[in-house]
Amino acid sequence: MTASPAPPADVLRGTLDLLVLKTLTLEPMHGWGISQRIQQFSRGVLDVNQGSLYPALQRLELKGWISAEWRTTEHNRRARYYRLTAQGRRALGAETETWRRYVSAVEWILATG
Amino acid sequence: MSVLQGLARRLQLAFGTRAADRDLDDEIRLHLELETEKNIRAGMSAEEAGRQARVAFGGVEATREAHRDGRGMRWLDDFAGDVRFALRVLRRSPALTLAAVVTLALGIGANTAIFSAVNAVILRPLPFDRPGRLMMLWESNPEFHWDQQDVAPANMLDWREQVRAFADVAGYADGDEAVTLTGEGAPRLFTVTAVTGNFFSVLGARPKKGQALRDAETGKSGTRVVVISDRMWHDAFGGDPRIVGRTITLNGKEARVLGVMPTAFRFPSETVDAWIPLRFDPADRADVSFRRAHWMRAIARLAPGVSPERANAELQTVVRRLQLQYPETNRVMGAGMTPLHDFLVRDTRRPLDTLLAAVALLLLIACANVGNLLLVRAAGRERETAMRLALGAGRARLIRQALTESVVLSVIGGAVGLALGWWGTRVLIALQPPGMLPTGEVRMDWWVLGYVAAITTVSGALFGIAPALWNRRRMPAEVLKEGGRGGSDARRVQRWGHALVIGEIAIALLLTVGAGLLVRSFHALTQVNPGFEARGVLTVLLSASGPRDSTTNNVRAFYDELLQRIRALPGVSAAAATSELPLTSWGWTSQFSVAGRAADQYGNEVAHREVTPGYFRTMHVPVLRGREFTAQDGATAPRVVLVNAALARQFFAGQDPIGQRVAFDKAPDSASVWRTIVGVVGDERQTSLGTETKIQFMTPFAQEVREEMTLVIRTPGDPATLGPAVRRAVGAVDPDLAIVSMQTMSAVRAASLARQRFLMTMLLVFAVVGIALAVVGVYGVMAQYARARSREMGIRLALGAQRSEVRRLVVRRGLGLVTVGLVAGIGVALLATRFMQVFLFDVAPVDPVTFVAVPLLLLLTAVAATWLPALRASRADPVATLREE
Repeated sequence: MTASPAPPADVLRGTLDLLVLKTLTLEPMHGWGISQRIQQFSRGVLDVNQGSLYPALQRLELKGWISAEWRTTEHNRRARYYRLTAQGRRALGAETETWRRYVSAVEWILATG
Repeated sequence: MSVLQGLARRLQLAFGTRAADRDLDDEIRLHLELETEKNIRAGMSAEEAGRQARVAFGGVEATREAHRDGRGMRWLDDFAGDVRFALRVLRRSPALTLAAVVTLALGIGANTAIFSAVNAVILRPLPFDRPGRLMMLWESNPEFHWDQQDVAPANMLDWREQVRAFADVAGYADGDEAVTLTGEGAPRLFTVTAVTGNFFSVLGARPKKGQALRDAETGKSGTRVVVISDRMWHDAFGGDPRIVGRTITLNGKEARVLGVMPTAFRFPSETVDAWIPLRFDPADRADVSFRRAHWMRAIARLAPGVSPERANAELQTVVRRLQLQYPETNRVMGAGMTPLHDFLVRDTRRPLDTLLAAVALLLLIACANVGNLLLVRAAGRERETAMRLALGAGRARLIRQALTESVVLSVIGGAVGLALGWWGTRVLIALQPPGMLPTGEVRMDWWVLGYVAAITTVSGALFGIAPALWNRRRMPAEVLKEGGRGGSDARRVQRWGHALVIGEIAIALLLTVGAGLLVRSFHALTQVNPGFEARGVLTVLLSASGPRDSTTNNVRAFYDELLQRIRALPGVSAAAATSELPLTSWGWTSQFSVAGRAADQYGNEVAHREVTPGYFRTMHVPVLRGREFTAQDGATAPRVVLVNAALARQFFAGQDPIGQRVAFDKAPDSASVWRTIVGVVGDERQTSLGTETKIQFMTPFAQEVREEMTLVIRTPGDPATLGPAVRRAVGAVDPDLAIVSMQTMSAVRAASLARQRFLMTMLLVFAVVGIALAVVGVYGVMAQYARARSREMGIRLALGAQRSEVRRLVVRRGLGLVTVGLVAGIGVALLATRFMQVFLFDVAPVDPVTFVAVPLLLLLTAVAATWLPALRASRADPVATLREE
């Protein structure tokens, strides 16, 4: 994605939300941890602009899909840990579905073109 | 987290923005630390690690902004910003802000005060159970010219029994009685109304202590009971907790207190202190007088599910039946019903509606003024706006900002107006004729506040739209090129200004014409000859209903002795008594016949009074023929009667009434009393200066004794000074008697004009304020005009024009505008004033004097307003103006 033109903002936003939700299915994490995990899982392809993570996290929190609390890390530092809520888990399923449909649609157009 | 929790968090973030900022900063710091550490572990230097971390993160500021944007409500932030901006702008032009706020406050304040009154009288529902189901029943009679009159008890009882559509019918005596309470310290007077037993249950009012009357209590027998008001409970008994069941002494007779009504229950009048049961015996029903004498008011509660139309239809059926059953009394007696609330406010509704219309017009003028102020300023800020547009501000945003300014201005004006309005309600209550407004109810409640909020918003929209949309069509480039003194746009401002001035003048004219008509009408009323000489007379209303006045002879003796004592007082030139004081009431009415005339030549609706000898001399009423009563016309002497000139004219035209005999019956029989006419006296105005004198008989007090009489005492000096001496005289004859009221006749006369005076004063005040505002508007527009034309004026002056010519130019323009406004106003006034007909006495709604004087007055004031700008324009130094660019 680094070389290709950036997709439109709302698509990117939606994708980011999806990635965050998926990341949090395993365990609660703080912001940096989430960005590392996304990088890891995408095998380096997705180099998410790390700063854009925090507005996304706030958005998800206000929607009620994730919840947050301040905790101390292993190294005794104060960090805000985010956790997936039940509602968020449900939303993840729905968003994944939407994403798959979107991708298929784009594929169809590209295939027939 | 539910939606509610999401909203809560949103609010938390919106208002705890700084805390949220700090939290975010902490998170970002941690993020960068961890990323840096990762980079160090990967082998970078500390510096490089830090830099790479920041690069990977992206813009910290951008993150912060995005985070902040995501918080709270965007529009709220924007709005808050606009408000702050608007406040800054308003602060920068204090003169304009002050002018606008004061103008708005006047308009909104006046509306608040009047609406509070309207709310209290007309809008607020009665404090009864389901008040919409209560109907006032009344009787009408075309022969007597009766409409919505009192009801005869027998008729009321028949309606109650026969009209199924009425769940119940209650009645009460129309008019209060004054009773003396003795045994609780000094004897005191209280106002009492006699009601049927089911009065409280029909109204659905519950006492706050004890019980109310019960149906069974209407009737002659049984112990006397009374229900008292909260005010009486505190005034007379100090809030005695054991008041229920106590026996008190009213008019010398004992009565047991059944209960206390709450403060809010003030029915049928504001001043009623207690309610006693009507004492009529069911056996009385057969008595003709029970059906003939109309002295009750009847209230019906509709049965559940019955419509008023159906109830009325049933009532009419019963009425027709009664007409046939009792032809002697009911032959043409009709009846009808009106919703109770409508009936009670019928006298007050019209004046209040007029005042409401007046203040609404006032608010329009105020809005026009403020609108013009803002418009001029908007035009003046064109360059600033153009620059902002050129630098990328959205047009919509600018319009929104301008509207916000108007909203802020109207909110400030509204707040000040609210305070002004509160003060205004105090003034209204102080000025109002007693009894017109329910003083306890005129207050600022949620309805009033809601109304103020509504008119504030509407005003803001009215004067805000035009300035806000001002720059809608203009291209920034044009404006910046024009150098701030734009030609076509200055004309646009002018046109708006002219339109506003014309409108203001028209409205001001409408208000002033209304006020002028009332002034003329009031003046005409004061010029009416009441038929007697009011100056120099003291009136004293007494009710000889105490324990000593148990017989007619006692009452007669009481008044005789009292009048003797009073005549002996120093300073008293004459004294007498009458049962009805002129300008208060015309007394009871009946039919009558003249001896020797055909049976169908009876008279209808003649009023009656009882007077003592010397009354007419005391009041300076001329005795036109024959004589006044003397001491010889005593209890055992032949029955005599006096007639007033109106009666003589109507029934004895061309004849001498003296010596004729009359009886107060339509069809006299062996039981009728024949009285001989011994004199004709001049007409007195009986109820008000504006009402024609009714035909009237006067009978000697000695022959028709009444308990309640008004003394009239003439003195060459100031009648008020007689007060203490009269009190002593009354006390000497009967120490237990309290005087019901004591007023000079001049005060009585003034009180009879109170309502007209009140309406006239209020409308005058509004008209004056309206003129003042309109004049300010004219001045503003003409000043603007002169300023816009200053270059042209400068050129003219430089080319040799006289200063007076320049002045004339401005004045001519001003006059032209004002004249258009006056013509428009006169046009509307000609149509509108007919609604004031009901208030006018002896003045036509299109009274030529008013319609000429008022426009002239406005023309003069407007010319004066134009003069100053004209003067300034003509005094300007042409060189200086031409140099200005």
